[in-house]
Amino acid sequence: MMKKSEPAPVRTERTRGRPRIRRWQAEFPYHWDADDQVSRRELLRFTVMASGALFVATAGIAALSYLNPLRTIRRQAIAKTTDIPPGGASYFHYPTSEDEAILLHLPNGRFVAFSGKCTHLSCAVYYDPASGNLRCPCHDGVFDAQTGSPLAGPPQRSLPKITLQQEGTTLYAVEEEPQ
Amino acid sequence: MNGRAYPLTETTSDIERRPPLGQVAVVLMGLAIGILLLGIQLWLLTTALDLYLAGQGTYMWLLALISGLVFVGGLLVLRMLARHPHLTPRRGG
Repeated sequence: MMKKSEPAPVRTERTRGRPRIRRWQAEFPYHWDADDQVSRRELLRFTVMASGALFVATAGIAALSYLNPLRTIRRQAIAKTTDIPPGGASYFHYPTSEDEAILLHLPNGRFVAFSGKCTHLSCAVYYDPASGNLRCPCHDGVFDAQTGSPLAGPPQRSLPKITLQQEGTTLYAVEEEPQ
Repeated sequence: MNGRAYPLTETTSDIERRPPLGQVAVVLMGLAIGILLLGIQLWLLTTALDLYLAGQGTYMWLLALISGLVFVGGLLVLRMLARHPHLTPRRGG
């Protein structure tokens, strides 16, 4: 390390015998060896201010969530129960026309629906009746048809489940809930 | 600073404040904990945003409450330091 030398005197110009303080010296009156230092107190003050800003932002998001929730419950008729035999599948779009989804009629008679996008790289999954699982053709991802949880391949997260409602013989997709 | 006393202007007098001898580590640890808490607050903010975008705002008030407690704690520390600055006189000043 370089040894610090004696601090250089503040440069002033002498005009008619009097030292003239330059404008920058008046506006920034820091000693040269102190101007690169931030005191602990200043750091603490800055930290508390940043903490306040983060608190305000978090509280703002919480208030926004209370006043203007993003979640909108959408109901969409997707199929008739009589149209899908046990062990069969039906493909539909939910919640938007660009989101693929899959409805399964499980061998035990239960209906389940999942998002059709693989949680690895968003390829479209399909139902494989032979294995009774959902498969992704891109990287051989396999999902459990009952729960949507990953069984094999690169996917690590479950397929988002779509809640179903049945009225008579009509099945409705009600909302999409991330798992 | 190289340990020698130089005349400093009034605006830099706060850098001459030093914690009592032997308590420098305590002060630095306090600062480190404060910065760590700031990181936790940042994490709480990102979690709140994530929950908001996922449409799950049920427990978001809890995140805001924890963040607020950290902020109030910081304010209390500042207030405490303002009341008890513990100035150590500079030698040879």
